[in-house]
Amino acid sequence: MNESQHLSSQFDDDLSRLRTHVLQMGGLVETQVSAAIEAYSTGEIASVKAIVETDRKVNELEKAIDDDCAHIIAKRQPTASDLRLVLGISKIVTDLERAGDEAKKIAKGVRRIYENGHLPGQYGVGIRHLAEAALTMIRQALDAFARLDTPQAADVIRADTDVDAEFKSIIRQLITHMMEDPRTITTSIEIISIARAIERIGDHAKNISEQVVYIVEGRDIRHTKEKAL
Amino acid sequence: MSSQLIRALFLALLSTIVALPVGYFVAHWAGWVLFCGGLGLQLAFHFRNFSRLDHWSKNPVVDDSLEGEGAWDGVFGRLYRHEKDLRSQIAGRDQEVAMLIAAGQALTDGVVLLDQNDQIVYCNTTAEMQLGLVVATDRGQPVVNLVRQPEFIGYLEAGDHSRPLTLRSDRRADRVLSIYIIPYAGDRRLMQIKDVTQTDRLDRMRRDFVANVSHELRTPLTVLAGFLETLQEYDVEPDERKRYLDMMAEQSKRMQSIVQDLLTLSSIESAPPPESDAVDMASMINKLHRDAEGLSAGRHTIVVESDGQGDLRGSEPELVSAFGNLVANAVRYTPTGGTIRIGWKAGPQGGEFSVKDTGIGIDAKHIPRLTERFYRVDRGRSRDAGGTGLGLAIVKHSLNRHQAQLDIQSTPGVGSCFSAKFPPNRVIGL
Repeated sequence: MNESQHLSSQFDDDLSRLRTHVLQMGGLVETQVSAAIEAYSTGEIASVKAIVETDRKVNELEKAIDDDCAHIIAKRQPTASDLRLVLGISKIVTDLERAGDEAKKIAKGVRRIYENGHLPGQYGVGIRHLAEAALTMIRQALDAFARLDTPQAADVIRADTDVDAEFKSIIRQLITHMMEDPRTITTSIEIISIARAIERIGDHAKNISEQVVYIVEGRDIRHTKEKAL
Repeated sequence: MSSQLIRALFLALLSTIVALPVGYFVAHWAGWVLFCGGLGLQLAFHFRNFSRLDHWSKNPVVDDSLEGEGAWDGVFGRLYRHEKDLRSQIAGRDQEVAMLIAAGQALTDGVVLLDQNDQIVYCNTTAEMQLGLVVATDRGQPVVNLVRQPEFIGYLEAGDHSRPLTLRSDRRADRVLSIYIIPYAGDRRLMQIKDVTQTDRLDRMRRDFVANVSHELRTPLTVLAGFLETLQEYDVEPDERKRYLDMMAEQSKRMQSIVQDLLTLSSIESAPPPESDAVDMASMINKLHRDAEGLSAGRHTIVVESDGQGDLRGSEPELVSAFGNLVANAVRYTPTGGTIRIGWKAGPQGGEFSVKDTGIGIDAKHIPRLTERFYRVDRGRSRDAGGTGLGLAIVKHSLNRHQAQLDIQSTPGVGSCFSAKFPPNRVIGL
């Protein structure tokens, strides 16, 4: 009796530590994304190095967490909601790591633009708005995971539609701009890839939220068109 | 206790005394029945009291007074009083806790209490706002799950908390927080969070100011020194020489205007309150209109929106320079073909002078810092346009001295509106 209680409380500790690690990794990714946006709007490309540096830490954490997941499954053989938590986490870290990669891409794109002596110019505002929306999505997705808060997760999933729409409108603007003035094509292409990366960050936030719903409710809502949220 | 024992023995003895003669004279069985009946009655009496206690203990309500019979009365009474005391003690403690929590809520600093595993035990509303926590759902959650910034996690885990951590809030843009971690009750910790946005801004302004003054003066000085050296060391053609001297004159003029502006600023700052002469706004607006036309040289449409009502009390030269500055900025930052509206309206709520343009606009994040000395939204552009970087700082100071507020509204790419709002006691002639 005592023995099993002791074991299960240690198991709870393991799970809670695992969650904290995931959120710690999330914190790193949040920092990367916000630093990338900051670099984009201020042109302080010195922070690009730090963003790339953080990416290494994120990658290490991803491997460590995946390892922990495998260990927990092998040692504790979790069932029901515990199993869903572990499975969900192993998917969430993949998305987080990719979001971190996208942040790195943004940072490098920003560096290329500024190093070539260009300025993001009139796309500054639109891109920044898009990026802030994506950053909020990541933050809310992680909050939803920390609190296991499905309504919040549902909000994030809905917000993704807005980000996608905004992304498309930026692309349309850029295309018009390039047709009007072919000299801007190089910069515009960089900006398109930055916008694309931001939009992908939003997608990853959405995937994380879907995993939160799966962890809490056991429903897999990926790839479902009409989501009964 | 002993009295109850004596009483029980006495009752047993009584039933024996009654049963013995009956058994002897009537029948054996009748005696036994009487004896057992007597004991049984006693048992039933005790059982009834026991069941009463049993019933009460399942849901001890203090309003329902617990009354026992016979020997049970004393026991029940003491139990009842004990329960009542406990309850009033608990109520007192509850009130104390509620007072403490209310005191915690009243703090203007954020407070988060953490247990030995750094899980949230309590946080006040200020901390909820500062860190984006929700105390109702986040109790028991490790704080690092919600405040995820790596700097914070590093600080919390580091042993040394003698200096506070300065953290840029990721939830409320532009807020700077200073976080103290104070151990209490053994291995528990208390986080105190101060909002130091204002102090941080002042610090940065002071640092920037010195750096900026030096930078702004050094640039023209470098140019001057360069030309001087050239002129000293080489023989230069007269034409070239003239060009150099012109450029040197231009740069020294630039330095002069910076120093002039700095002197103006410091004289405004240290001067006594402005005189309260009547300033004729109608002629002031006319003059501003003419100046704007002159500066614009036909590139913009300049519109005056004023009904000529109301004048101001204040120092005319200061107001002329402040308003002139706003108008000149509008002309400078509005592309050819734009419209500039100079407006004045006065009423019982006070007066408002405004300059509205259809210029390039200002991004929202620059607006709070616009009136800082040498603050530039776009370094290259404003210097090309001939600004010293001190114009708006002077405007703000002059207006402050007239108790007026400078209000800036702007949308990038659409235009800006700078307005100076004067309180009613500064407006006359309505």
